[in-house]
Amino acid sequence: MSIAEPSSVVLDRPDGAWLEQAPWATVVWNDPVNLMSYVTHVFASYFGYPRAKAEKLMMQVHTQGRAVVSSGAREKMESDVDAMHSYGLWATMEKQ
Amino acid sequence: MKDFSREGQSLRLRLSTYEAAILTSMVEQVAGLLEGDAPLGGDDPFARWQAELAPPVELDFSDPVIARLFPEAYPSDQSASDEFRRLTLAGQRQQRLDDAAVVLEALRGANGRRLTIASGQAEAWLKTLTAVRLSLAIRLEIDTEDDARQAARFGPDDPRSFVFQVYEWLAYLSEGILGLLG
Repeated sequence: MSIAEPSSVVLDRPDGAWLEQAPWATVVWNDPVNLMSYVTHVFASYFGYPRAKAEKLMMQVHTQGRAVVSSGAREKMESDVDAMHSYGLWATMEKQ
Repeated sequence: MKDFSREGQSLRLRLSTYEAAILTSMVEQVAGLLEGDAPLGGDDPFARWQAELAPPVELDFSDPVIARLFPEAYPSDQSASDEFRRLTLAGQRQQRLDDAAVVLEALRGANGRRLTIASGQAEAWLKTLTAVRLSLAIRLEIDTEDDARQAARFGPDDPRSFVFQVYEWLAYLSEGILGLLG
């Protein structure tokens, strides 16, 4: 009995192609300028999060310096980061 | 009388003439920065038409205010950040100018000391007030919460103390509007 050769399909798969499917995250960073009430408002009104979740994320940004506020496909996260910037929040893209 | 009130779908703000003038000047400064201080052509329709046809002036990203208003989306990947900026900058810049125009128009149309904001315009107000505060924070060198506490202690002879008062007053306006939105 011979051991099966590894599938050439697997070997030839382009590097990191599957990673493109991996979810991305929108990270919001703490800054000393934006008001806590405003940051909560942005999370509730843009993402449609319930007030309690929006407040929890705001507190996470405030106390831990950053919070993942949304995750998903890269294109969607880029539009979330763009939206956060439009509100004046400091947001970046991050691979999960 | 309260400074902030609701009337049906509208928000009412009470500003003194002096406060309205300061806010107008602050918003105009940020709008000017976003326009790249390009000449807008004044009252001459032909000059204005020419200005509209001219390609938009490149924003100066070495200006820390511009850098803060349009942060890098990919902090460890310059080319991805540049590409993100290429795709989003024009829309974002125009939206900020449109928001600033909403605020400036309301300030011009203020009836005495009363100013009315349609509830659909509250976001434009909040975003614009935030953009002005971010730009003032750069001027006040507020990078951390400690810096903000320091700024609160500028002496009355320090010219920055006036800027800080404006910065705090804009926060008060934002809080007032947020309070009405509930």
